[in-house]
Amino acid sequence: MQSLRLIRVILKINIQTSLAYRADMVVNILLNLMWVGWELLGLSIIFSNTATLGGWGPAELIALLGVFHMVNAMMAGMLWPGTEKFNASVRDGSLDYTLLLPANSQFLVSFSSITIWRAWDLVLAFILVVVGIRMGGDTTTPLSILSFLALAVSGAVVIYSLWVVLIAFTFWFTKFDNNVTILQALLDSGRYPATIYPSWLRIIVTFIVPIAVATTVPLQALRGDLSGWNVLLFIGIGFASFIVAAQVWKAGVHRYSGASS
Amino acid sequence: MLRIYQRLWQVNWAEQWQYRANLVMYLLFWLVSPVVYLAVWTTIARTQGTVSGLTPNDFVTYYMTLLIIDQFTSEITIHIFAYKITDGTLAGELIRPMHPMLTNTLVNNVAFKTLTLMALLPIWGVLWLLFQPNFSAVTWQGILLAIPAVIIGFAISFLLGAALVCVAFWTTRVWALVEFYSALAALFSGQFVPLQLMPGVVQQVARYLPFQFYKYFPIELVLGGLSPQQIVTGYAMGIFWLVVALFLFLWAWRNGLKQFSAVGA
Repeated sequence: MQSLRLIRVILKINIQTSLAYRADMVVNILLNLMWVGWELLGLSIIFSNTATLGGWGPAELIALLGVFHMVNAMMAGMLWPGTEKFNASVRDGSLDYTLLLPANSQFLVSFSSITIWRAWDLVLAFILVVVGIRMGGDTTTPLSILSFLALAVSGAVVIYSLWVVLIAFTFWFTKFDNNVTILQALLDSGRYPATIYPSWLRIIVTFIVPIAVATTVPLQALRGDLSGWNVLLFIGIGFASFIVAAQVWKAGVHRYSGASS
Repeated sequence: MLRIYQRLWQVNWAEQWQYRANLVMYLLFWLVSPVVYLAVWTTIARTQGTVSGLTPNDFVTYYMTLLIIDQFTSEITIHIFAYKITDGTLAGELIRPMHPMLTNTLVNNVAFKTLTLMALLPIWGVLWLLFQPNFSAVTWQGILLAIPAVIIGFAISFLLGAALVCVAFWTTRVWALVEFYSALAALFSGQFVPLQLMPGVVQQVARYLPFQFYKYFPIELVLGGLSPQQIVTGYAMGIFWLVVALFLFLWAWRNGLKQFSAVGA
């Protein structure tokens, strides 16, 4: 309950600050729309030259684009804005103020800076996923949609956990500004199914920087490519990575010595 | 004049060397998208044999050439100059007896590219081993023909980028405009798809725009994919856009400077 109230307060503060730059918000949303138009044009170019892309049809790739936008909204709207502030706060000791607050520090650092207009990206993601599923027609069952949703959430949790671990490294290295760049750089790979990538790239985006776990895997569940056990396994990975991340965070906070005091 | 450039080179080269680690990350960004599109198109070409006459190897060579050409023709002016207009620090540079854009910024661009190119080469070698491209269609004549095109491509992208940054003299912030510009460039330069696979209308439009000189035109010159007539009309269009870009920049600079109020300085 307390955390819900906290989120509400944080959202309120962020909405108020971003309302000061309304024109900026409108321009950003328009640009975002333009990029989506671009992505859809890209898909239409691809499918004007072929019927399937490695066994994936247009409907599935539109849904995949939707999942990609969901992950992108989480990263660009919640994780990136907080990262720089966090890195600086470990270096100059201002993290003291966060640690002194009577709430979970990982929670506070994760949610403290939210770019409000990115919520638009979530709306768009939702539309794309729904359109994709509707276009897919009979191939989807209620069960496959359910496992799709579960895996989309647990995939996002995996990415989030990796982010927590990466920024927690700052507690040990102090100066580690590029800690999340590898996540940002590989994000682009989420627009297309990882199954078409050469094996080395597939291994990287599945096991090392698991962008594919958050984008391709949920779509595979939607297509019915995954067995029930596999679905449970990926949900389990989501839980496990969250627990590991929380432990790493705790160990990091223990190491933190407060640069200024 | 030459001495100025020489000294600026030393300064900027040393400055760029400070950020070696950033450079690797920057390259990562750069690499992922071409490699992803390479994978997409080779997958399609492999299942069908060819896509509009392009074989899987054509796509591999296209994107691998793109990685190199892109290093030459891209520019980072927005990142190293726009903030100087926004926060007024440009005032200090205006006092010096030289053009801030055509000397310091230009040399900084070139230093950055030289360094990224050095870092790219080993990575490119690894990609070569991974994708095993067959570059037998590339001839020395093709490469020699492409060199002026690459220089024209960089000149156009640098001047247009600089002209765009000059808009900040009026509006203070230009990021949205630059993003719009880079979206157009991504669409019409052949960055994601070789232009011949685009819908007919887009191809027609792209032929009259400056963006093809950033990537598609030099790449196709290297790969020997253009007819002599296409080469001649391409070069004519390139020189036309070079002149247009030069005048656009000079105009924007001269009139923009009159608006400059040196905020905060």
